[in-house]
Amino acid sequence: MSDVTPTSLSTLWETARDWLHQRDGHLTRELLLEPSRFGLGQLPNRLQPDAVAKSVCGFCSTGCNLQIHLKDGVAIGLSPSADYPVNLGMACPKGWEALAVLDSPDRATTPLLRLPSGEMRPVDWTTAVQTFVERVRRVQAEHGPESFAFLGTGQMPTEELAFLGTLAKFGLGMVHGDANTRQCMATAAVAYKQAFGFDAPPFTYADFEQSDVLIFIGANPCIAHPILWERVMLNKNKPEIIVIDPRRTETAMQATTHLAIQPKGDLSLLYGVAGVLIERGWINPEFITDHTSGFQGFADFTRDYPLDRVAQDTGLAPQQIIDLAVSIYRGKAVSMWWTMGVNQSYQGVRTAQAIINLCLMTGNIGRPGTGPNSITGQCNAMGSRLFGNTSSLLGGRDFTVPEYREEVATILGCDVDRIPQTAGWAYPEILEGVRSGKIKGLWIVATNPAHSWIDQADFLELREKLDFLVVQDMYATTETAVVADLLLPAAGWGEKDGTFINSERRIGVIRKVSRAPGQALADFAIFRLIAEAAGCGDLFREWTSPEAVFRILQRLSQGRPCDITGIAGYEQLDRHGGVQWPHPGGRDVPVVERRLFADGRFFTPDERARFLFDPVRPLPEALDDAFPLILMTGRGSVAQWHTETRTAQSAVLRKLSPQGLSIEMHPLDATRENITPQSQVVVTSRRGQVTATAFLTETVGRGRVFLPMHDSTVNQLTNAVFDPHSRQPSYKDCAVSVKPIDRAPASISRPVVASVSEKVLT
Amino acid sequence: MIAPGPSPLPSFVEDLLREQQDLSAVERFAQDHAAVTATSRVYRSLMPATAPGPGQQYGFEVDLDRCSGCKACVTACHNMNGLDEDETWRDVGLLVGGSFSLPVMQHVTTACHHCIEPGCMSACPTLAYEKDPVTGIVKHLDDQCFGCQYCILACPYEVPKFHAKKGIVRKCDMCSSRLKAGEAPACVQACPHEAIRISLVSVDEIRTLTVASSLLVTAPDSTHTLPTTRYVTARGLPRDVRSGDESQVHPEHNHPPLVIMLVLSQVSVGLMLAGLLAAMQLLQSAAFMLTALAWTSGLIASLAATAHLGRPWLAYRAFLGWRTSWLSREIMIFGAYQGLAGAAFTLVWWPAEWMSQLTLGVMAATVVVGVIGVYCSVKIYAVTPRPFWTFRFTAVRFFGTSILAAALASGMIGVGGPWAFVIASMMAFGKLVAESRQRHAITENRWAERSVDLLYGPLRDAWFLRCSTLMFAGVVGPAVIATLPEIPTAFVVVTVVGCLVSEFIERGLFFRAAAAPRMPGGLAA
Repeated sequence: MSDVTPTSLSTLWETARDWLHQRDGHLTRELLLEPSRFGLGQLPNRLQPDAVAKSVCGFCSTGCNLQIHLKDGVAIGLSPSADYPVNLGMACPKGWEALAVLDSPDRATTPLLRLPSGEMRPVDWTTAVQTFVERVRRVQAEHGPESFAFLGTGQMPTEELAFLGTLAKFGLGMVHGDANTRQCMATAAVAYKQAFGFDAPPFTYADFEQSDVLIFIGANPCIAHPILWERVMLNKNKPEIIVIDPRRTETAMQATTHLAIQPKGDLSLLYGVAGVLIERGWINPEFITDHTSGFQGFADFTRDYPLDRVAQDTGLAPQQIIDLAVSIYRGKAVSMWWTMGVNQSYQGVRTAQAIINLCLMTGNIGRPGTGPNSITGQCNAMGSRLFGNTSSLLGGRDFTVPEYREEVATILGCDVDRIPQTAGWAYPEILEGVRSGKIKGLWIVATNPAHSWIDQADFLELREKLDFLVVQDMYATTETAVVADLLLPAAGWGEKDGTFINSERRIGVIRKVSRAPGQALADFAIFRLIAEAAGCGDLFREWTSPEAVFRILQRLSQGRPCDITGIAGYEQLDRHGGVQWPHPGGRDVPVVERRLFADGRFFTPDERARFLFDPVRPLPEALDDAFPLILMTGRGSVAQWHTETRTAQSAVLRKLSPQGLSIEMHPLDATRENITPQSQVVVTSRRGQVTATAFLTETVGRGRVFLPMHDSTVNQLTNAVFDPHSRQPSYKDCAVSVKPIDRAPASISRPVVASVSEKVLT
Repeated sequence: MIAPGPSPLPSFVEDLLREQQDLSAVERFAQDHAAVTATSRVYRSLMPATAPGPGQQYGFEVDLDRCSGCKACVTACHNMNGLDEDETWRDVGLLVGGSFSLPVMQHVTTACHHCIEPGCMSACPTLAYEKDPVTGIVKHLDDQCFGCQYCILACPYEVPKFHAKKGIVRKCDMCSSRLKAGEAPACVQACPHEAIRISLVSVDEIRTLTVASSLLVTAPDSTHTLPTTRYVTARGLPRDVRSGDESQVHPEHNHPPLVIMLVLSQVSVGLMLAGLLAAMQLLQSAAFMLTALAWTSGLIASLAATAHLGRPWLAYRAFLGWRTSWLSREIMIFGAYQGLAGAAFTLVWWPAEWMSQLTLGVMAATVVVGVIGVYCSVKIYAVTPRPFWTFRFTAVRFFGTSILAAALASGMIGVGGPWAFVIASMMAFGKLVAESRQRHAITENRWAERSVDLLYGPLRDAWFLRCSTLMFAGVVGPAVIATLPEIPTAFVVVTVVGCLVSEFIERGLFFRAAAAPRMPGGLAA
């Protein structure tokens, strides 16, 4: 032991000490934070990136930018981009978890074809697309070219949406096609189009910061668009915030005034307020005279909405209605924001236009902090509106105008006869077509109607009437995918390139930063394959990459209100923090924030905005003793997105979501039915019956109940009523009863189709 | 960029699949950013300008008027700290209530409160917690932890989270490493509404001003651990506000190894006492059998306790926390007990006349040490702020098990005649009364009510089984044996086994019905 040195003694001592009290080791180092590059601050060692790339988030239409942390070219994490003009370094939980949802056993990894036995069997891509084309052709041959329709989405990049619409209509000869955007913003699109001459949300997010009066109607941005609420919180004007919503929502809590109106009292309220403003002369006659038409008719019309009537329709006190008018009158910059509370209504278009009317007559448009502003739902609903080629021809054109068809045919280099002369049916008409036997085949891309469509049992019944159902999705387990005849596995956000257009018309880039599982292909590649298999590849020779298609879209936009010919390409979009449309050629570097109509010139032929209005209609389903409560549906929590096909794949988002289905109910309504907190109740409508847990809260108000739309059973209750102009489903106003589970009324007569939903993947 | 040309479909498919897997394009757009991000400018105002001075420490400050429930803080913490799967160190709960005309819905973001007297730290048997003398941050030493999870019971706010795969607990350290570098903690950085900030708090002020509801209305009693988080609101919260999950009654975690450990260690002490009584009456073989049984059940108890650890091979560290941790003390005392029990059993087995005094002495010492051990067990649970685990009722449960075991064992070997069974019957009756009475005694607050709701709700079957088995096997059985002259052995065996089963059920309920005071939860489970 002669070589015992002080060093080895101290090592021995340290070993002994660690054996007893270990301050460091692999567990500690696992979470140890170290400075990272790219200004990302400290990160754990295993999450240190060697490069970062930017991508716009793929959930909602806020359009936040995320910095994707890359290691060896593959995404290993993300953080919100600090220098992007939308989110300023913030993201909501869905954005933070955007990569986590990609890695899931539920992913579709190979095409699946249903055998006659009902079993789904893996097939290769060649077989899959050949089967696709053969079945489309067969259905079209047997039942006519109109008999195969498609249902798309607002979740894919614009380039893919344009590809889908163009391929389906000009390549495969389909006539009818629509998208799930019908369920979220069709109303806003139609309202703008009718009033402004083009589907043109006029605002920029800076307006949230520049208003002194903000009015939110049927919108709960604190939960549905948290990063837009960030912008409201950055408002330095100590703004008055007025929330019009039957429920006392998170946003209502943050407001200076909450007007808890009766469900669907909004239209009457808006007309009543307009009446007060006109009566008191609190309007902007110059703006009305110079830039609008139809005001006098509207002014006369508002006399039908005196205060006492509006008070009765809304449940508000007359003074509250006057106060709202006073706030609009006194505000220097008044902005009005709406989402699904307005859009998902049987009179949604007129309600949105009632908001537009208020802004027009008070001159609250075109200036900072003003505007009738629709906050969109999906990440690329705006792209779908312009380039989806469903209800409008590529570039926001009208199918019925021959010159437009010529223009598009020339730009695309296709025969003008390939372009249908009508827009084709909207979503509800397509489904009615299935019922009547006119539609025999459906191609559903990146949407989940077996969960989300209003009056769900009806949808599943209709599925049985189809000869062939193709579903193209990231996940093989969605309610719709499991009833498909052919499933095409798609790569998702993060696994492909393209652009999205957000609520404020900002075009941003998404990036391929992760490898798609198995044989999943980007929808873009799937469309290319189908085009080749269908023998219409020549039409798409130029459609080789998303960026190549972006250049085609630029050409399609030339001279249109949405002209984007001035954008240099993806690289510029990336570097510049996105660009808002319009950005026509010849302009300098795009400005960061921009709004429309600063010059008061609208897109109508006479450049005047229209006042549009119709009488208020009664609730489609009157309340009675059997069904005494109004059921509203909507966003459940910030961690959930639509039918949860993606958000349910993240363990953290699942943890942040409510467990099971809870129904919000007022304690007094509960007492009347002997319902105790957290007890099981049965919710019955004329169409279905679901079981839920009673969550008693005063915030929902008397006489109404609320269910989150994310639960797959909720749409068994809803009533298939639509806005006559936008054809958007009215999800928030069906009549129900809520009873304790042991006193549930007998099940409703119509059987729920079980045979379809019981088909599972094998 | 693949141009389809004359190539047939299958090869086009191959090309597209290859292109799908190619991620090289993104490299072109990957970029280097300036060293200081725009966010750092924003969050600078959310951190104190100076380090804590004497008598100060860091604390979270949450502006409830700005917390709108977006939960970005939870996911940012999860991602920026590299947590696993569904591991989260921050939670967002919900308060509802208010008047019908002005209802209230308030989300509440909550993480570790970096208490002045951290319950986790004093409970930890391995000294795996440290409170930084300057910043006051309560930090967990992950490599030191052996996964006993006692800190989870000891923290009134359920802050430490058990990571089953790693076998340890992990928790929020206020991103101390980021703070040191002048960066804000992940949650502070990520809150879109600037609702969370780090502020300097005065330790003395918290000590003097803390009352039960200091932290937040509906939150657990602040006087236990002196939490440093400050919830501020200009808007105010109505007094009758309730947590979003108030009416939800979910049974707490059942800890089977702890159930086994508690029952068998207490039974062991009882048997040792019976063995001592037998030895005093010179019933040598009975004494031998009882000490052997005591030693065996003590051994099973300690094996079960060790198996309960996330990292059992580090069990030797258990003594380190003896200055403050009742768990540490319990483990040491029962370690000694087991050694003594082994010695007692050896001595009894080796019947030398001259050694009988020593044997009795060792056995008596074993019993005394065992009683101290059971006392430590009682304290372990009594010091956690659960109304279901008050010292009095827990002592009746635990010591009652020992006495019941001692009485039944004595009766079976004939020590004390029928009186042993009478005592057993009375003890069982006492337990039954105490457990039923507890329901009335603990209705002083809503956590206690929740325990009662559990016993009469989701746990009612087990509770009924407990009462009926104890009534028949514990009260009636021994009474019959004491009264009747001739009793079949089978009846005695059934009685004893019935009592044991009943005690296991009781101990399961002891954990499952112990509703923990906690921060407000939402609709999420």
